Amino acid sequence: MNLSQLNRVLLQTLLIPVVALMFVAAILSLQIENAERTVAQMRKADNNIATATLVSVLMVNEESGLRGYQITSNEIFLQPYDYSQVPLDNALHELRDGLTQQGSDPSAVDDFIMAHNVWRNSFAAPLIAATSAGQNTRDSGLNLRGKAQMEALSDRLNNIVETQKTQRTLIGDTWQRQVRETLEILIALALIIGLAIGFFARSRLHQVSAAFQATLASLRLNAQRTYESEQRLRTTLTSIGDGVIVCDIDGIIELLNLVAQQLTGWSQAEAVHKPLEEVFRIVHETTREPLETPFAMVKKQQRVINLSSHALLLRRDGSELNVDDSGAPIHDRSGRLVGVVMVFRDITEQLRSQAALLATEKLAVAGRLAATLAHEIHNPLDAVGNLLYLMKDGATPEESTQFLQLASQELDRVTQISRAMLGMYRESKTPVAVDVKDMLESVLLLLNRQMSQLQLEVRTDFASNASVTGYPVELRQVFINLLSNAADASTQGGIIAVRTKLRSAVRSGKTGGRQAGVEITISDNGVGISDAALPQVFQPFFTTKGEHGTGLGLWVSHGIIEKHSGTIEIESSTDEQNHGTRITVFLPRLDS
Amino acid sequence: MPQSRRLVLCVDDEAVGLQVRRMILERSGYSVLTAQDGPTGLKIFAENPVEAVVLDYSMPGMNGGQVAAQMRERKPQVPILLLSAYMAIPADLVGLVDISMTKGEGPPMLLQKLDSLFSN
Repeated sequence: MNLSQLNRVLLQTLLIPVVALMFVAAILSLQIENAERTVAQMRKADNNIATATLVSVLMVNEESGLRGYQITSNEIFLQPYDYSQVPLDNALHELRDGLTQQGSDPSAVDDFIMAHNVWRNSFAAPLIAATSAGQNTRDSGLNLRGKAQMEALSDRLNNIVETQKTQRTLIGDTWQRQVRETLEILIALALIIGLAIGFFARSRLHQVSAAFQATLASLRLNAQRTYESEQRLRTTLTSIGDGVIVCDIDGIIELLNLVAQQLTGWSQAEAVHKPLEEVFRIVHETTREPLETPFAMVKKQQRVINLSSHALLLRRDGSELNVDDSGAPIHDRSGRLVGVVMVFRDITEQLRSQAALLATEKLAVAGRLAATLAHEIHNPLDAVGNLLYLMKDGATPEESTQFLQLASQELDRVTQISRAMLGMYRESKTPVAVDVKDMLESVLLLLNRQMSQLQLEVRTDFASNASVTGYPVELRQVFINLLSNAADASTQGGIIAVRTKLRSAVRSGKTGGRQAGVEITISDNGVGISDAALPQVFQPFFTTKGEHGTGLGLWVSHGIIEKHSGTIEIESSTDEQNHGTRITVFLPRLDS
Repeated sequence: MPQSRRLVLCVDDEAVGLQVRRMILERSGYSVLTAQDGPTGLKIFAENPVEAVVLDYSMPGMNGGQVAAQMRERKPQVPILLLSAYMAIPADLVGLVDISMTKGEGPPMLLQKLDSLFSN
């Protein structure tokens, strides 16, 4: 049941009793009107009775006045007679009107009036005249006739009164019946309407109650589901291995999971309702400048943010952790930002392992070069030793000069090799200008043995004045890797081409352009890399060399080139006609 | 000192090393033929009555092991001394050649070992 349905039901339950009451009131007023009419009738009957009684009294006055005058012949005694005449006539007219109004037959009154006039004219008037004339009025016949007439008049009047009384009684009965009927109708209506309203209200309330129960049940279910879902999320949050902090829109902390508590050193109770910056303090690992929190960036950009891993978390106890952090916005239904979730983890161990891997790979490169170096140093030293033996054994001055020249030539070779080797280890702390040509030549010298053993032809095409900004040791490591890979992939008699090209700066609106720098291309006509393997070559521990490779070379190289803000791209083909691999490295020359 | 000048073939890709070794052997009374790579060495080996071979292991293209194997096939009786700048020579080669030694052990050791090949 929705709200409009509920309103309709409420309106119905309110309106129906009102309508019923109005109906009852109409019936009641009808009944009252009837009763009033009856009462009016009753009043008329009462009036008629009263008028008839007045007529009777006036008639008595009239007769007693006449008798008094008859006896005394004194005119004073005739006064009641005289005074009764007009009121009597009036009363009789009134009575007649009363009967007419009542709807009764006025003929009885007319008859009475006529009989009264007969009495007055045939009896009273002659009697008064006789008395006045002093005549004898003691004629019993006359008096008897008069008496009889008067008695008849009395009878007539009594009849009228009786009729009116009977009428009144009848009207009274009618009134009583009407009152009883009204009561009965009232009771019946009250009963019927009461029951009807009762049943109606009950059915409607039943509906409302059912709807209410259903709503309540669904509310309860929703509450249960919400609780369960919250518990599930809470458990997920507390169980995951990453630190999670939830903030409201103002950056006030609402929740820290267990890992976040361990990493920051703040307990949930202490951290909650505190500003994020107080609990989650991060600085750049090298510059130690305070870093913008993921919260601030998410609030600004309104999207999921992943930050670089140069952040150092300052813990509550003063210790520090390398962390990797990200932030995601929380939106309400209308898409409004209501909070931010931050996820971060301790990557100190990860960085340590990475450093260990880098060191391992460096050692592996050294190991790979060791045999070559031993050979490259051993051969000239053997020659020098042999030359010294010859000189000691007795040589002509010409021979000695030649031997010394040869020995010095061989020692130069050793020096060159050892210098190239040292270049692999003496790292500068800050980026310096690196001559790409010099660097590649010294790397090729170290790899010369390996190349010549496989009878590989190395074709070089180096641009002069090609310099980049960077860390020479790391760059050497990259090119040792790339050239070793090219040699390993090549078959006997293969060709390895190493070219460098100066690239000038390019300005472009979209990508911000490209800086000036050097592009180094190393291509071989070796076996090539399969399409399946190609996407994985920059992954750690991926190798196509079986036990002979660490699987770290290209991964490390990629990392080093990225550190130099450069790019490294690889193209390869295993096609029978046109197999081989080309690696293009771009290194920028940073303006100092 | 050998009574007649014995013919020895030296194979090494190191030009200076080869030249100096030749001088030492010649001073010690050997006749010396030289080759700077495996295929040339094999050709000389086939065409001349070589009595012993001083062979470098690490060479571009054919390495000393491969050259020694082919020489053994042709003239198994000719002794071979394998030289190496490496600290260790692959185990299967040690059985193939008569003597192996590391460069840098000095000319007296070389001469002594070469001499021992003929006295056996």
